[in-house]
Amino acid sequence: MSSKSDRPVMHSAAWRISLWATLAFACGTLLVFVFIERFVAHDIQRRSDAWLSGEVETLGDVAERTPNDALYDRVVSEVAELASKEVPNRQPSESPANDTVFFLQTGRDGTLKLWVGDGDGRANLKAIQATRVVSGRPTDIRVPGFAIPFRVATDSMNDGTRIYLGLSERDEQRVLLKLRGSFFFMWLSLVLLGFFIVFYTTRRTLSHVREITEAASRIGHSDLNARVPTSKRHDEMGHLALTLNRMLDRIEISMHQLHTITDSLAHDLRSPLTAIRGKLETSLSVVRDAEYTDSIVSAIDELDRLTDFLNKSLDVAEAKADALRLTPTEIDLDELLRAMTDLYEPSMSERGLHVNLLSEGSLTILADAGLIHRMIANLFDNELKHLTSGCTVTVNLRAVGSSASLILRDDGKGFDQEIQSQLLERRVKGKNSSGHGLGLAFVDAVVRAHGGTVEASNAARGGAQISILLPIAREGMMRGHGQVSATSA
Amino acid sequence: MRLLLVEDEHDIQTFLKQALADAGYQVDVAPDGKTAEALATSTAYDILIVDLGLPDVDGITLILCLRHIGVHAPVLILSARRSVDDRVRGLEQGGDDYLTKPFALAELLARLRNLLKRNSPGGGEATRLRVLDLELDLLRREATRSGQPLQLTPQEFVLLEYLCRNAGRVVTRSMILDKVWGMRIQPDTNVVDVHIYRLRGKVDGNGQQPLIRTLRGVGYVIKER
Repeated sequence: MSSKSDRPVMHSAAWRISLWATLAFACGTLLVFVFIERFVAHDIQRRSDAWLSGEVETLGDVAERTPNDALYDRVVSEVAELASKEVPNRQPSESPANDTVFFLQTGRDGTLKLWVGDGDGRANLKAIQATRVVSGRPTDIRVPGFAIPFRVATDSMNDGTRIYLGLSERDEQRVLLKLRGSFFFMWLSLVLLGFFIVFYTTRRTLSHVREITEAASRIGHSDLNARVPTSKRHDEMGHLALTLNRMLDRIEISMHQLHTITDSLAHDLRSPLTAIRGKLETSLSVVRDAEYTDSIVSAIDELDRLTDFLNKSLDVAEAKADALRLTPTEIDLDELLRAMTDLYEPSMSERGLHVNLLSEGSLTILADAGLIHRMIANLFDNELKHLTSGCTVTVNLRAVGSSASLILRDDGKGFDQEIQSQLLERRVKGKNSSGHGLGLAFVDAVVRAHGGTVEASNAARGGAQISILLPIAREGMMRGHGQVSATSA
Repeated sequence: MRLLLVEDEHDIQTFLKQALADAGYQVDVAPDGKTAEALATSTAYDILIVDLGLPDVDGITLILCLRHIGVHAPVLILSARRSVDDRVRGLEQGGDDYLTKPFALAELLARLRNLLKRNSPGGGEATRLRVLDLELDLLRREATRSGQPLQLTPQEFVLLEYLCRNAGRVVTRSMILDKVWGMRIQPDTNVVDVHIYRLRGKVDGNGQQPLIRTLRGVGYVIKER
């Protein structure tokens, strides 16, 4: 499909929807993960606190029961060493020295009495003393020289001494870090997966919408019997397609009615016109009297004008209802304008008018040849009828973007000021105009039916100016002409 | 030339029958599809004129039906409709022609002649055309009158060629616009007249016998008289 390639993915609705949905999903899952992480962290803390409290109690018991002799230090440090082996969440340490756990006993005077652990324990004691550590409630202690804080539990002995058991939070933090890492990867893959799922499904759904849009835009004036594709599923897209098709049915019916009306009107008027014209022509071949001939000839002329007026009126009426029937063929505007200038030049110079054609070369449009020919002839007729001797008409043809720009400019009197704003309306004509006031309305109708625009104004330097923009035929459009519909402006 | 006119409108029937008879056709008239079918099966016609809006049957259906039963004469379709039906286009491609109402008699006659010419094995294309002392060399695109070369623009040559090809027959303004400029338009100004006027100035300019004549209300004709 063409629109897939010429529109970047980033500009599609599917992309936007997926982005927003993913953002919401990411925030939601992040909240959930943060909550779980908090919960787990709290649980780990609780478990290590329980261990600390239990151990400090055991150690207290041991310290109290052990007689305060030479062996006391050894027994207590053995037990403390042993306890440090049962640390929860223990990770094998890189350093041989035991830096995860320390045991510390202070004397009655608060001096260091017994130390089990890495280093001499002075810094630890200092840090403990700087913080108030109460029995039964483990507290975080930051020891200078250690990046990671210790969790310290305490218990007071009956003999007035105090024991402290410290547990480094390194392992706990390592566990949490690992948890966070895996949570992050889980979250990321969930979000990415979510994004792709949302993007894929919305893209699929929206591709139906795009198909419907493309089909609907293809179905223009002349191709009204086509319908947008319907899916078998009875979802919103199916309903949309069905509703559009029902709407197209109704439009087709009313357009058909309009065509029937204009056709029968044309038929009912043309048949008598044919008969009258035929009779006039027959009598013309019989009558020899110049006086009668003149009246018959002018009657035939009037009849032809009436026929032309009828045709244009019906064309304008159909175009106003977006129901003009077109048979598009390739038309080279440059070639057509040259032929048209060639055709009108003698009449123009006869009336003292000059005509200049400035064209940048071949410009092909896909349009109904009959209508475009009549439209351009109309423009030239207008100039021929309304300009006074000595004026110049400049016809300018060039490509502007994807449109063919046709500008007809003259240096005459320009349009009447009073009708300036409604030049393209039916029955609007200047005070001195002898026409039906259909000319520019017809031009507008034809150009609009081909997806173009018309602007009529008085140029700044004086004189009338009519600018027409018509879409240039693209390669793709050329292939299937006959079915190509003009899109309305 | 035997011609079958299938037309239900009485007024059109009358004047067409008269005009066609004047042009040398032997005309039978059928007011509806049934009569047309009966006539076409019993008589061999050289050409048919069929109006699309018949009381009993659609004109195109009638033509297809006639083709089916072996009537192969060319058909000139008359239509008062605004749009040209796809089926009409199909017939047009098959060698038939159509004309929208109202029409000029001269155009109707010209189209009939064209249809008959298309269906008869004619000789090769002429390379020279001659009308009295006016001579056209179609290969070198040069025209002479009484041996004197005429200074014509390419467009004027095409116009003169078209008139000479139809020498003795009237051509209307819209026929000229169609064949010479390739446009089916109806200008409400005298554009064609000015072209003819200029051409006449060159062809009939030197006090020679006027060749290009205006038939007021009808069109133009180049005549050898």
